[in-house]
Amino acid sequence: MRSRKIPLVVAAAASASMLLASCGGGGEDDGATTGTLDFYTNKAAWEPDFDELNAASESRADITLNTTGYSDAEQYDAFVRQSFRTDKSPGLFTWQTGPSLAELVEEDLIAETTDIWTKAVDSGWVSTDLRETYTYDGKQYCVPMNIAYWVMYYNKNIFAEQGIEEPTTWAELNSIAERLTGAGITPYYQTSTLFTFQWFQQMVAGTDPELYEGLSTGEVKYTDPRIVDIMETWLDQEEAGWFSDAGSTTDPAVGLKQGDYAMINFGSFFNGSLDGAGMVSGEDYDMFVIPATNPDLEQTPVAVESGPLCVAENSSQKTLGLTYSEWWMSPEAQTAWSEARGDVAFNPKATVADPMLEELGTTVASDDYQLYDRYYEATPTPILTVALEQFGAFIANPGDPMPFLETIQAEADDYWAEQE
Amino acid sequence: MTSDKATRPKAAKDPYHWSARGFIAPGVLGVAVLLYVPLLWTTFISFTEYNGLGDPEWIGVENYVEMFDDPAFLGSVLNTLLWVGGTLLVPVGIGLGIALLTWNLKGGTWLRLPFLIPYAVSGIGVAVIWSFILGSGGALDQALGAFGFSDTPRWLVDAPLNTVVMILATAWQGVGVNALLFTIGLQSIPKEPLEAARIDGAGGFRLFRSILWPMLRPLTAVVVGLSIVASLKTFDIVQGMTKGGPGRDSETLALTMYKETFVNSEYGLGSAIAVFLTIVTLAAAILYLRQQLSSKHEG
Repeated sequence: MRSRKIPLVVAAAASASMLLASCGGGGEDDGATTGTLDFYTNKAAWEPDFDELNAASESRADITLNTTGYSDAEQYDAFVRQSFRTDKSPGLFTWQTGPSLAELVEEDLIAETTDIWTKAVDSGWVSTDLRETYTYDGKQYCVPMNIAYWVMYYNKNIFAEQGIEEPTTWAELNSIAERLTGAGITPYYQTSTLFTFQWFQQMVAGTDPELYEGLSTGEVKYTDPRIVDIMETWLDQEEAGWFSDAGSTTDPAVGLKQGDYAMINFGSFFNGSLDGAGMVSGEDYDMFVIPATNPDLEQTPVAVESGPLCVAENSSQKTLGLTYSEWWMSPEAQTAWSEARGDVAFNPKATVADPMLEELGTTVASDDYQLYDRYYEATPTPILTVALEQFGAFIANPGDPMPFLETIQAEADDYWAEQE
Repeated sequence: MTSDKATRPKAAKDPYHWSARGFIAPGVLGVAVLLYVPLLWTTFISFTEYNGLGDPEWIGVENYVEMFDDPAFLGSVLNTLLWVGGTLLVPVGIGLGIALLTWNLKGGTWLRLPFLIPYAVSGIGVAVIWSFILGSGGALDQALGAFGFSDTPRWLVDAPLNTVVMILATAWQGVGVNALLFTIGLQSIPKEPLEAARIDGAGGFRLFRSILWPMLRPLTAVVVGLSIVASLKTFDIVQGMTKGGPGRDSETLALTMYKETFVNSEYGLGSAIAVFLTIVTLAAAILYLRQQLSSKHEG
């Protein structure tokens, strides 16, 4: 009996190893430059915009995107990571810049795009500053899908009713918040999940951009007295009732529309959501660049995020993905994208459909402003995860900031120790 | 079939058995490949440092040490225990109560039906419905506001209240099926001992304690066993309602495992939590069922 079991065990082991073997490696690049390109994104809400763009890409580049949108970012990240081990790695996919992209580049999983960037920079399609974000060891990887500046959106009706003008200094912004609170209106939106970092980011970078930079390189500790001071200010503001109910499940755009709060600190992609909620750009809502906390700064720091479009190195559609990436950088593609999505264009030669966004693009390009990487991209992932949770916990139950900062710093200590 | 068996002298050598094994083999192989291989792989990964991209690097028991050192993990163990206790008390307890109150009633089926309908909703569906109700400024707050209660608790924000209300949301879904199972158990109790007890003057609580409860025991063992296993695995409701937050206040073990693996890309640590969770779940199920079912024989 016993000996007869052996063939079964051997068969099971053999099929298991075959299954594992078939999971490894990637596909062979088929070399096609036209056709249907499988595209994966965690921006499921933008799927109609990508479909709209197909009209332009079909006629100009003879490539059609077949978009699969994920609405859960975590699930999406796991899917992309796992796909590199199969022959289904995507010909085109969206990702995050910063440490998440660096990790993929280090493992040689991403196709190089240096030639595309060289052509784009030479043609004046993209700034050299933006190229830095996509450069690893002197080579470029991926192309920018979008660019967003983090600004303050406000409900124009509330500002008009209260006789409030856009602030030009931090002190003015604070007095607006006080005035709104006095009138029974909550000044700012906040949430305790995911987007918990922006006020921290705003106040740290607005106080001292080098301090902000130090957090992302590990040179500054989260328990640094200057950071603690900033958190104390945030706590005072929380206690003064400047922020909305963190547990609210109302969509942020709808909340701004119905006046649950007067202002919301968000990326310039938020125009699309506000338009979707039925507000009219320039009539019902407007935006301003948030003045620096520290009035002595010569340039006003503005957070910028740029999401990449990447091609997997071992994808069977590598050539097709790179061909599309090259077209994507062109003014015609960016003009079509701006029309479809209603977003800021990274290509200065593209025409931006929404005048408010066009103005923002010109404003922040001037010497009075300094762009810095958004906290989400600037912070290494393990520290970011803990920080987002801790800011969320602080927002839900504002109190002594030290325990929150110590928890983040403990993770940061572990992370930087591993990097040495 | 029984006559076949009787005419078969040495069953093991019978070609029938080998053909039967041949038919079963693909299924067994499927289970082995799809269940045991991943289980072994996960166990192996739990002893490595692995970000899901490169190659796993052997680090021994470091992940397990880190896991037990992490206050968030210990918090998540406590929350999971709260879930185990809560889902035993609420959905199992209320389910039993409903079954007892309705099994002898005319039209009892119709009374039980409304409790059963939420069982058809998926876990995430339950989470979405209850988020609308319990979110700040949600349906419950508005209803309480209409009665003049303005200072309502922050149901999903404050711990451990958020875990308690999520257990209640799960109870809303699970109570009907427990009531149904207990009703089946009650209906299968033979009439004679019940009538004898009634003639002896037993009724109400006495009848329950001395007759119904002991005779329901095998079924209770199964219902409680299933409930323990389900509550140890709690994931969808919490992920849907609070994502384990604020901070990590309402995380359960399954959620911690998911976060470490897929959010932090700490596949090794996530696998260590998965192994821990598997051992705890299996141990709880085996110990509980063995104790219950064997003491039934003794009794």
